[in-house]
Amino acid sequence: MAKESFDKEIQFLRMLVLTSGAYSRQQFADRLGISVHTFDKTIRKLKEINHSMSQQLPNEQSLELAEAIRLDYYDSADPMLLFLFRAKSLKESESQRISMLLAALHNHNALTAMELLDLCCGSLSADSAQPDEKTIRKDLKYLEEVGVIVRESGIRPHRYRIQNDLIQALSEDELIDLFDFVDVMANTQVPSVQGYLLRDSLKKNVAQLHTEKQAIQPFLYKYHYYSRILDEAHLFILLDAIHNHRKIKFLYFSPKSEKSYASKNTNPIFERETKGREELTLPLKVVYDHQYGRWYLLSHDSRQGIRKYRLEGMTQIGEDIQVSEQLFDAVYKKLEEKIQYSWLIDTGHSITVRVRFFNPGLSQPNFIKERVLLQGQWGQIVEEDEQSFIYEIVVNGSNEIKPWLRSFGSSCEILEPPLLRSEMIAEWKELQSYYESI
Amino acid sequence: MNLFEKIFNYQIISRLDDSGTFMITSQERAWLKTMLEHPAATAAFPESTLHKLKNVLEQDSTLDFKEHFIEKGRSIEKHVYHPLLRSCRRFILNKSSIVITYRLKGGSTTSAQNGVPYKLEYSMVKKEWYLLWYHLRHRSLMNTRLDHIVSVSEQSTSPEVLVQAFTNIQQILDKLKDQVILEVVNTYNQELSRILYAFSCFEKEVIYDATEQIYTICLSFIANEREYVLSKIRFLGKRVRIIEGDYLKKRMLESSRKALERYRITSPPIKDQHVSSPMDGNRLPMKY
Repeated sequence: MAKESFDKEIQFLRMLVLTSGAYSRQQFADRLGISVHTFDKTIRKLKEINHSMSQQLPNEQSLELAEAIRLDYYDSADPMLLFLFRAKSLKESESQRISMLLAALHNHNALTAMELLDLCCGSLSADSAQPDEKTIRKDLKYLEEVGVIVRESGIRPHRYRIQNDLIQALSEDELIDLFDFVDVMANTQVPSVQGYLLRDSLKKNVAQLHTEKQAIQPFLYKYHYYSRILDEAHLFILLDAIHNHRKIKFLYFSPKSEKSYASKNTNPIFERETKGREELTLPLKVVYDHQYGRWYLLSHDSRQGIRKYRLEGMTQIGEDIQVSEQLFDAVYKKLEEKIQYSWLIDTGHSITVRVRFFNPGLSQPNFIKERVLLQGQWGQIVEEDEQSFIYEIVVNGSNEIKPWLRSFGSSCEILEPPLLRSEMIAEWKELQSYYESI
Repeated sequence: MNLFEKIFNYQIISRLDDSGTFMITSQERAWLKTMLEHPAATAAFPESTLHKLKNVLEQDSTLDFKEHFIEKGRSIEKHVYHPLLRSCRRFILNKSSIVITYRLKGGSTTSAQNGVPYKLEYSMVKKEWYLLWYHLRHRSLMNTRLDHIVSVSEQSTSPEVLVQAFTNIQQILDKLKDQVILEVVNTYNQELSRILYAFSCFEKEVIYDATEQIYTICLSFIANEREYVLSKIRFLGKRVRIIEGDYLKKRMLESSRKALERYRITSPPIKDQHVSSPMDGNRLPMKY
């Protein structure tokens, strides 16, 4: 797999989604560290994929790519970003052959490799190259590996059948329940890409049963960070490395830097533009932050201790040497202690934050308390009277909890620590100055 | 596990669609099997279906990720599935009208109301399901927590009434569209990524002025989401400034004035006294 090309596409799609067309071609290309020519080529490819994936939805065909992937809340059930995971290039003949094999197995009960070869040769157009037995056997082996087909036990020659018992076993009504379950879980749980992929196929199945109703998508997910599914591209590589106690190396682009990608340079003109940092580190934990919808990697470095990376900035990830179990366990345990009180990923000193929250007027439901209980993580309400309550939490540093506290506006007053209190006062003063003129 | 397996290739998928072939990989089955272990599964399926699914997936593995993966800053998960989700979903699928009785916030209960359901909405923040429906007599859009529904059932209505209802729903939704324009305060351009991530759950458009190096974010939302937008703007603090949207501007000014009062720091009175506030007014449903 051309890994580099996917790194590029992830960065490309992310930028497209986040900035929704703010940049011109040239600006966009500059920020990604690619040429305008590569920009055009990538856009063309993504459009082509988008087009072939949305054929069942005639209304979407004419949409421009940027528009197609822009979040439209009332029509957000199909995450367009999923097409990143569909984007792998495949030779025309291979995609033709594999789909033909699967279709043949779908139409017949179980077939041998030779029967499949005959069917394949019979149905391929005369001008395309005819597959040989070896190729078919290789394809079958691959399909068996990814679990799409199974080889039936019994005497030779072996017969293969498609593994879709899941669908066969279910009635129409049960299929709808399954679709709904997959839809809800893919949208509310992480990781979710496999769920979205499954949802896609189930959707077509349900649509076949209810042709006239296929346009109806009953569920909406409010305040959902769809862009998170792009970073799942790295998730399983990292989890594997953690599981095997392997270091990883990658090229890192801090989200604060101007650029978020750099092509591997075949073209000397762009060579000096590469500004990514080469990293080699022992991955320990992956963190998903619900406040922003972002992913982090926490890792260990023998010189610098705990390191934190945004998955967003990681490209060209590769596995490196394995470390001993003792070393892994030791640093892992240390990290777990360090992040015990992280509101998100801060591993600094822990402090106690005390906040007074004010209840809304008596006639209103107490949405403030409701929200504190819902989002306040491990913090506790320690005191309560009619007008207010005091919430207390031990947390590493105040930086990460501060935005959350500020979002309550005048419904909260920071009591401790004094520094956070004075910082908050200063921020409200400045915010006031933003709007004083109105 | 490789999410870029060639079997997920778009050309293969679209060819399979043409032949009506259904394919499912072991990765997808592993994900499903893992999700079936979530308590939501028992609410999502009748017992017999769940049993059937577990049987079919018996030979498959589950995704092994919990140990090395944590979620932070998340709301407590009250429920992912609600017992009423199955039936309400079918009412929407059948495009039927409903008779619904629900509890009001004060604790009293409505009499049976006639309506047309059009969406089921899950709030990722509040972890609650809501039924969005159209009130046939009041001709207004309703938004009822599934938890607050006492009873709901299908009833027959003439097709004309339904067609009219769906037209009205669309018209009302269009009318409720609201917008606010924010500017990323120039000195925080380095934090652009953070800011855009925070707003990535909204419909938005970003404009970039290359000469001044200024980013402008144009957010679109439905009017009853204003309070949430406001809390997000406060969340980001000094990083963004509202440049268009009088209501939210006033609310921000008011927030800062009242917040400073909490710290016993008073400021000159604001010119416009007709600002609603979370404390003394209630023009909008106070969700946040």
